[in-house]
Amino acid sequence: MKDLERLRTLIKEPVELVLNQQIQMELVSSSKYLAMAGWCDRNGYDHSAGFFYKQSEEEREHAMKLFHYLCDQGAIAYTPEIPAVPQEFDGLRSVFETVLEQEITVTDSINRIIGVCRREGDYATEELMKWYVKEQVEEEYIARRCLELIDQIPADQIYYLDKKLASVTYDENPFDEA
Amino acid sequence: MEGSVPASYQEVFRTDKGVVYQCDKTNRLILSFWGSHTPLSARDFAQFRRMVETVNIHQMALSTDAADDVEILTLPRSERCYVLTLCEVIHLRELLSGANLMLELNSMLRECGCATLSGNV
Ligand SMILES: [Fe+2]
Repeated sequence: MKDLERLRTLIKEPVELVLNQQIQMELVSSSKYLAMAGWCDRNGYDHSAGFFYKQSEEEREHAMKLFHYLCDQGAIAYTPEIPAVPQEFDGLRSVFETVLEQEITVTDSINRIIGVCRREGDYATEELMKWYVKEQVEEEYIARRCLELIDQIPADQIYYLDKKLASVTYDENPFDEA
Repeated sequence: MEGSVPASYQEVFRTDKGVVYQCDKTNRLILSFWGSHTPLSARDFAQFRRMVETVNIHQMALSTDAADDVEILTLPRSERCYVLTLCEVIHLRELLSGANLMLELNSMLRECGCATLSGNV
């Protein structure tokens, strides 16, 4: 008897399920960052606002990468429901604390997906997820570095702090190919 | 009720309420339930199985609202729909999940390089 499911797609159902959950998580991240961008924008943190607008776009791209992968490989990608996200924050520090927590949640989720890929013997999807692993190392670094800067820069130098936060990059990422 | 089925149909799973066949000629799974044969692609079959799995049977059982007495399920890309009572949803679930188990077994056999299942050929 033919294996019709295998002819349809290389992605097995448990992997399809967790990838769809990841699409949802990335789009929730995108929505959270957009809310942070809005909060920064209306509170005068222009540079941080710019940083979060860009970040929001990036998270959407992360979701779309998975969405296209599922569709291209014959699996089903679902458009997820996005719940309401927080719109107000106590200050810049609380914004960046939320960022770090969100990125840690994403990293944990990526790691779980790789576990599922290994269990199902899906080495193609595991290979794709490696890109996300590296991405998360960078995202967590940036969030931690921003929190450090908030501690290091005196509270009255808000303009300087805002500018500094938006310029944090991870240049020494050991996973980047030189 | 079923009468005779085409020779290319291999039985995947059977309950006393229905049968799932596979046709290797057309690459279709055939759902035989409620006296009708419905050929479905592997994707539509998976999608329909998930639709049946996600029916809220607790609500059907507990609600006194007439709208909860039956569940209307439309087959993917087909005009056909099933209007099912609680019992029928459960029967359909049993049939589809049994069939899915056999299909998974067939996949596992293929993956490890063993001969795949052969139905009533
Ligand atoms: Fe992301």
